[in-house]
Formats: sequence, structure tokens, C-alpha cells
Amino acid sequence: MFRQRMRELSNYQFAVLLVLPILVFLLALVVYPLGYAAWLSLNQVSFFGGIKFTFTGLDNYKEILSSPNFWHAVKVTFRFTVESLVLTMAIGLAMALTLALPLKRRKIIQTLTIMPWAISPYATGILFKYLLRGKSSFLTALSYSLGINKTVDLLGQKTVVEAVTLGNAWNLAPLVGFFLLANILTIPSGLYRLAKLDQLTVLERFKHVTFPYIRYTLFVFANIVTVLSLKAFDYIYVQTGGGPGNASSTITYEIYKQSFINFNLGYGAALSFYLLMLIFLTTTLLYVVWGRRELRS
Amino acid sequence: MMRKVALLSLACILLIATFSPGVLAAVDFEARSGQTVRFQGWQFATDVVLDTVRRYNETMGGNVEYNTIAGDYSAIMEQKFIAGDAPDILYGHVYDAVRYFDGGWIEAIDSLPNADEILADLIPSVAEAWTYKGKVLGLPYFTSVIGILVTNLDRMEECGLTEADYPKTWDEFYELIHALHEQGVENPYLPAWYSEQWGIGWSFLAEVLNRGGVTADPETHEPRLTADGPGGDTLRAWKRLWNEGVVDKEVLSYRETDHIEAWESGRYLFASHMAYNIRRSNDPKFSQVAGRTGFVPYQGQPWGILDVGLYLITKKDRDPDFQHDVEAFFSWYGFKNEEGRAYVAERWLQDFMLFSGYQSVMSGEIALEAIRSSLANPDDVDKMIELYENASYPKGVFHVTWSPEFQSFLREELQSFLLNDKPVEQTIEAINSEIARLNKVYGIN
Repeated sequence: MFRQRMRELSNYQFAVLLVLPILVFLLALVVYPLGYAAWLSLNQVSFFGGIKFTFTGLDNYKEILSSPNFWHAVKVTFRFTVESLVLTMAIGLAMALTLALPLKRRKIIQTLTIMPWAISPYATGILFKYLLRGKSSFLTALSYSLGINKTVDLLGQKTVVEAVTLGNAWNLAPLVGFFLLANILTIPSGLYRLAKLDQLTVLERFKHVTFPYIRYTLFVFANIVTVLSLKAFDYIYVQTGGGPGNASSTITYEIYKQSFINFNLGYGAALSFYLLMLIFLTTTLLYVVWGRRELRS
Repeated sequence: MMRKVALLSLACILLIATFSPGVLAAVDFEARSGQTVRFQGWQFATDVVLDTVRRYNETMGGNVEYNTIAGDYSAIMEQKFIAGDAPDILYGHVYDAVRYFDGGWIEAIDSLPNADEILADLIPSVAEAWTYKGKVLGLPYFTSVIGILVTNLDRMEECGLTEADYPKTWDEFYELIHALHEQGVENPYLPAWYSEQWGIGWSFLAEVLNRGGVTADPETHEPRLTADGPGGDTLRAWKRLWNEGVVDKEVLSYRETDHIEAWESGRYLFASHMAYNIRRSNDPKFSQVAGRTGFVPYQGQPWGILDVGLYLITKKDRDPDFQHDVEAFFSWYGFKNEEGRAYVAERWLQDFMLFSGYQSVMSGEIALEAIRSSLANPDDVDKMIELYENASYPKGVFHVTWSPEFQSFLREELQSFLLNDKPVEQTIEAINSEIARLNKVYGIN
């Protein structure tokens, strides 16, 4: 009887049956919190004398758009993301190309180069805080060893975003590098032999042999690094606390400040939807400008 | 005859026992419920706390579980309250306690069985700092003064300075610093402008208070800063320090630990510091200015503000036995143990020079010895006590629900004032506006 019923299911129905548990799981895990956050963003929330919600419609969204802090945070976030993207991809690619060479003790070098990825953003924040700040910075040490005797503080207002970018790229680049390396190692070695016969230069070999094989991976990781950088928080919190002043205050830091310092949860939730929108727009832009071409090719 | 002596001795023993503090306490510290009492605090000397908790659990059959919170303590603890996940006993600053009390999350100490005895032992002027709406909000963890001026005695000698040159006011201090800077003295001053809630913001609140001003009215909480008053004077003095390159620009990216390490490197001549850190700075295990960290004494103008940490008890529906367990540990840890000794308070004092809020602790030889052994010059004990006695706190800002939010704003605003060379008038106006806005949000006045 049961067998007969099972046979009556169409392929589509059977597929739905199979994915049903994960759909329910996703609903509970994603849709409910997202819906709750959306509800929060339409309210002013107070916790004193019990939780109170006052429906304010789109007021939080409007207020954010008129806040100079928000626009400052957008600028900082973009600067941080673009710089992180460029630096991470460049370091990752350089790592992959280097590790693909027939080096002695390659396994050990590979293990060492993946280490930064294994370090938590919290620890990275502390490490780079000491490395880049004034009296303890390695540049200050260098300056004194060269007799210039000048304190170099990269955590100052003008350079703090670049300082934060350095740590972020250091943390993310090994991941990019290893996926690119895996990709490069699948390229048939015959192609390189042919390129050698054709007397192609190193750059030409990269352009005509290596690049076509890794361009799709590059696109995928450009997306991943963009999203990770847009939503980076713990690392920035530890290294700079959004400062000095608000010089490194990204949107994520503003969300934290509004939601968990000022306990303005409605406003914080609305801010998080602006961040979500920004992530969506940026990744869509990447797809339109770059991804579609990759898929077509 | 022998019988008479024996009876007399017994009577004496009974009399002493009856009036000794241990018996007066009349608190049964033994745990009854078998349930776990959750105790949470910020990360400071966790080994000492763990050891003390273990001692309680072993001697009183308690089941107290202690853990710490890393990061923004006030904010994380408030999230716990909101989520219904607050511990039974916790640490808090005065302004945290005020906010939690207004949120209906903590209880005042009146309900403790030995409340009268505790209240009688509190130092009145200090206890006033955590008395809010007529209620004493917690038991004293420590009292200290943040924002006193410490000096590197070796560097003072190098600069030809003696105790007679110690400034009496902030204005005198800044004149001295500028004069030294013009003479080419390097690193004359390390201000406590670090990026913590109690960093640059507290430095401002302290200096305004020391200059005789108030940031917000102590009763109505209305903004009280003016550009031509102590607030404006403070900002003008800071702007000059910053713009003339007297202080390192990197101080704004420091955390408290970085500030302490910077002082202990021995580079600086003066620093704005926490009083209790003098002990650490004079300890060769940590510091390169060990035994050479002095301080500027009180000479008519107070230095810094009173910093008070409290043990707080949360308001929860507990069965009577469990409520007893929570209160028993609270009292044992925050006041006196089964022997009638303020064991924990004495330990904080001896190990860290954290002053206690109890008269019985501060009037004892232990206190004198703890202070004496912490100072570069043991004869300065009276001067240190005088600093404490003259320190006050910004009631208008600390005794109000919005205090943590305001402190977060103040930190950012003051850093921005320095970094972006904002006009003094604009910054004073921004601070006043924020206070007015917060009063409106919280329905104050």
C-alpha cells in the first residue's frame, strides 16, 4: 500500500519531499529572525519597565538617511571594502602563483602561509593594533633603526582605514590563495610546455594559460571577500573600536553602537537592512560587470 | 574561688561573643537549596575571585559558579537582562547600577537580613555615591579615584623638578607642561584619553568637576556646560595640548591596558592615572618606574573623580531557599564572612590597593599597610587618603538612566573635537544638546 503511494509521487513532489526538512530548518533559522528584525526596524523599542514596541513605520529608515554618521559610515565601509578586495585578491593571487612553483619544502611553506586564515579576527585585531600603532609599530622601529627617529602611527585618523585593511587582507588572503592554488594545480602541465615552446613570456603565460583557468574562481572570491569585508565587525572592534573618533566606524560598527550601546534596537535593525541592501547591490554589480561575462565564457 | 573565676571568664566570653561583629551579623551562610548561584563580573584578577568563590563553596557548602564577561561589560550585561539571562550577582559601576535599578532588574540592599549592620559600616560620603532614589544599590566592591596625576620621580629629577613644583590646579599643571615642552622635554604628559567608556569622557567629566563645574545638574540632569565656564576651559586646555603636539596622537587609539603599559614604560613625566594602579606601577614585576611612581597631592583643588565598583543582586522570582543562598553568598562575599571578617575587601586592598567602602576595613592597620607598601614614598599615606577624601563624582551624569549612552557619545564627541579641531563652543553645544535629547528620550523633566 505504502509502496503504491510512493510510486504515485511525481519527480517534482519527491524532490520537494526531500528538501522539505532543510526548507523548514531554513525557515526557522533565516526567515524568522529576518522577519523579526524587519518588525523591529519599524518600531521604537524600549526595555525599561518591560519591553515596549511603539510602531513608527519608516521613521527609523528616514532618520538614518538624514544622519551624517550613517553617510560617514557608508564612506568608511566602501573605502575599507574596496581596499580589502584589491589587496586580498592581489596577495592571494601572488601566494597561489608562488606556491605553484616547484619550491623546496613546499608543504611546510603551504602550512605556514595558511596560518593567518586560522587566526581569529579578534587575535588579528590585537596583533595589528600593536604592529601598526605609534610607539609599538614596526614602522617606528624601522624608522629608529634607520636613524630617522620618527614615530609612525598608522592608527591615526588619516590612515586608520588602510591599517584596518592590512589586517583584514592578511587574514583573508590565504583562503583566496589556496583556492586559486588548487585551481592552478589542475591546469594541464602540457599547456605550460607548449607555452614554453612558443616562447611566451611569464606575463603572456599567465594571461593565456593560467588566467583563463582561474578567472571564475577569482570572480567567486571577489564576491566572498566583498561580502566578508562589508560585514566585518569583530576585527575592527578589537583593533580600533571604530576610532579614533569615528574614523574607522563602518556600518557594522554603527549597528553595534546603536543596538548594543545605545539600545536603540529599532534604529539598529533598520541600519542592518541598509547593510543588507548594500551587500545585495554590490554583489549584483559585481555579477553584472564581471560575473555574467564569466558565465558566458 | 576557682568556680567564681570560671563563671566570670565564661561571662566575659559570652559578652565578647555577643557583641563581636561575627555574631552580630546573624547570617546563616550555609547554602540550602543545592541550586547554582550565578556570579558574573568583568575581567579583573579572575584568579583571586575564583579562589575566593572556591573557598566559599568549600566552607559553606555553596554552589556558586563564577564567570566573566569580555568586551563592553555594561552593554553585554544589559543584553543579558533584556534576554532574561542575567546572573544572580554581578559587578557594576554606579551608573550601571542606576540604569539596572531603573530597568527594574536589580534590588537595593535593604532586603538583606543584615542590611542595618552593612549600612552602619558603610563610609557615608562614599556610600552616597551609590545611593539612588533613597536606596543603597549594592555592596561596595572597590572605590578608587580615576584621573589623579602621577609622576615619574626619576624624570622629575632629570628635569630639575621637586615636590615644591607640584601644581595645585589643572591650569597650573598645563602651564608647567607647556613650559617643559618648550624647553624640549620629551613626553611630558600622558593624558587618560584612551578609548574606553571611562577614558577620555571621564577625563573631561573629572576636569570639569575639579575646576568647580558640573556637566549636568545633579538633581534635574539638565545640561550645565558653558563655553566660558569650566567645560570650555577644559576643552581649550586640551586643544592647546593637542595642537601644539605636547601629547602623542596615538593616545586616542589606546585601551586602558595600553595606557597603563605606556606609563609603566617609563617614557612619561606625568600621567593622568587611576589611584589603584600606583601599586602596580611601583611593582618591578610590571613596571619600569617601579618604586618611582609618585603622585601630585591635593592642595586645594581635587584631582580626578571617584570611581566606585559594586556588587549587585538581581531581582528574580526565587524560591525561599535559593533566595537565601543568593543573599548568603552576596553578604559573605560583599561584606563579612563567617568569621566576621571583610575577607574579600581586605584582599582587594592588600593585593591591589583597591579601597573599600567599609569603615571597619579602611580604619584598620591592613589599610594603612596596603597603602604604605604601594607608594614610592611610604610617608605619603596621608596625602593619598586626602586625595580620596576630596574626590567626588559627577552625580548629574552618573545618577541617571542615560549615563552609559551619554558616555559613549562623549567619548566620540571629544575625540572628534581634537581630531577635527572643532570649535569649543560647538562641542559644548553638542554635549548640552545630547544631554537635553537623552532627558527627552527618557522622560526626565
